Amino acid sequence: MLKVQEIRELIKLIDDSSISEFTYEADGATVSMKKQGEQVVQTAPKPTEQPVTPQPVEQEQSVPEKVTTEPSAKEEEENQSNASMSTDYDTEITSPMVGTFYEAPTPEDPAYIQVGDQVKSQSVVCIVEAMKLFNEIEAEVDGEIVEILVQNGELVEYGQPLFRVKNK
Amino acid sequence: MEDKRKQLIELLFSNKEDYISGQELSNRLNISRSAIWKHMNELKNVGYEMEAVTNKGYRIIKVPNTISEQALRWGLDTNWFGNLINYKPTVGSTQTIAHELAREGASHGTVVIANEQTMGRGRLKRYWDSTFGLGLWFSTILRPSSLEPKNATQITLVAAVAIARALVKHEVDVKIKWPNDIFVGDLKLAGILTEMQAEQHLVDYIILGIGLNGNQGINDFHPSVQEKATSIYQVTGEQVNLNHIFQTISKEFEQMYELFLEKGFGPIKLIWENYAYKMDEWITIKTNELWEAKLLSIQNDGALRVKDEQGTEHTLYSAEILW
Repeated sequence: MLKVQEIRELIKLIDDSSISEFTYEADGATVSMKKQGEQVVQTAPKPTEQPVTPQPVEQEQSVPEKVTTEPSAKEEEENQSNASMSTDYDTEITSPMVGTFYEAPTPEDPAYIQVGDQVKSQSVVCIVEAMKLFNEIEAEVDGEIVEILVQNGELVEYGQPLFRVKNK
Repeated sequence: MEDKRKQLIELLFSNKEDYISGQELSNRLNISRSAIWKHMNELKNVGYEMEAVTNKGYRIIKVPNTISEQALRWGLDTNWFGNLINYKPTVGSTQTIAHELAREGASHGTVVIANEQTMGRGRLKRYWDSTFGLGLWFSTILRPSSLEPKNATQITLVAAVAIARALVKHEVDVKIKWPNDIFVGDLKLAGILTEMQAEQHLVDYIILGIGLNGNQGINDFHPSVQEKATSIYQVTGEQVNLNHIFQTISKEFEQMYELFLEKGFGPIKLIWENYAYKMDEWITIKTNELWEAKLLSIQNDGALRVKDEQGTEHTLYSAEILW
């Protein structure tokens, strides 16, 4: 069965195309769309033994008037932020373990790193602590810190991005 | 020079039941009889007692109570822990020096130890009282090549278990306050500061810092810690030989560390639980706010399990606990 995202993409494609009617059938489920003037209308798959249709599709179906405007506006937004992010950073510095994020060696000291700082691969950017093991995290890349993604004292997960770096 | 003295001590130690002649020492070390005699005098100066019997040779009968590289080494029964001992009478912080050595490539098991730290520190650079000659302050470089950074955190509990076992051998009955403080009653006897340099999947090195109070009387402590700290001397009423304590800890740590690498945290957890401080008791936890919780257990990964007043259970990896 199609995923919600795929259906959204289809709506957008059909919306921009000259197609006025579209049907997709697979595994006993059907997705049909029909343009009514400017609108794209989508009907939910027929009930089958397959898993239930995800919630968001049903919502879109219940407010068909918004279908044309909402997804495209959302996508524009996403496109915009995607575009700005891709120019903003190249690398993310991630946490090698579960623990507490510390921006400075002590509460009295200034933070290791602020947005706009230049770092080298050996530069310490923060500490992650768990069970009294203090891990000094190094940048491992040369560049400029463009975004700090966590707050001092926050619990971070294994692999969680902490900083975004624009490479040199 | 240093090297010859180290070898001399090792020779004397390996023959500790027997006398070893000046000639044999001279042959084995490939230095003159008079050079041997000079080294012997220097050993006496740092507190060794030597028995010299005509036609038999030398025998070591007592190691000094004060810390020195020779005394630390004499009787050290380990495979790699302390294979290199960097002894300094006075340093700012053994931790800082160990970091420098590690960055220069110092090997697994290298120890930095001092009689006095002028800037001894605990976590968050908190003050650590390290008065000349009264305790053990040392930092050890570990390079666990088979350990991923995310699994390295349990090292702190491994170290606590090793110290606890070592102290029990010296007849000091201790508890471990999660994750790794060593307590007698409600007073701190030893602390551990563990710092790691790691990449995502690779531990570069770990510095295991240990501070242990040995022979302090109550007034030897800085007033700011007098009500919180204790020493072996205060617990047992007897002065201890810090060199011996170092050697016991070294051996225990080596064993516990190898057990941990080989079998994982499971067996360490069982030992840790025997020493758990305030288990099943209520404590106060400080996160964004203060809340009461009952200590339940430690998890298979060393994290702390607690239950709040509503009966909800929580897992803690790091928390400020007001014990």
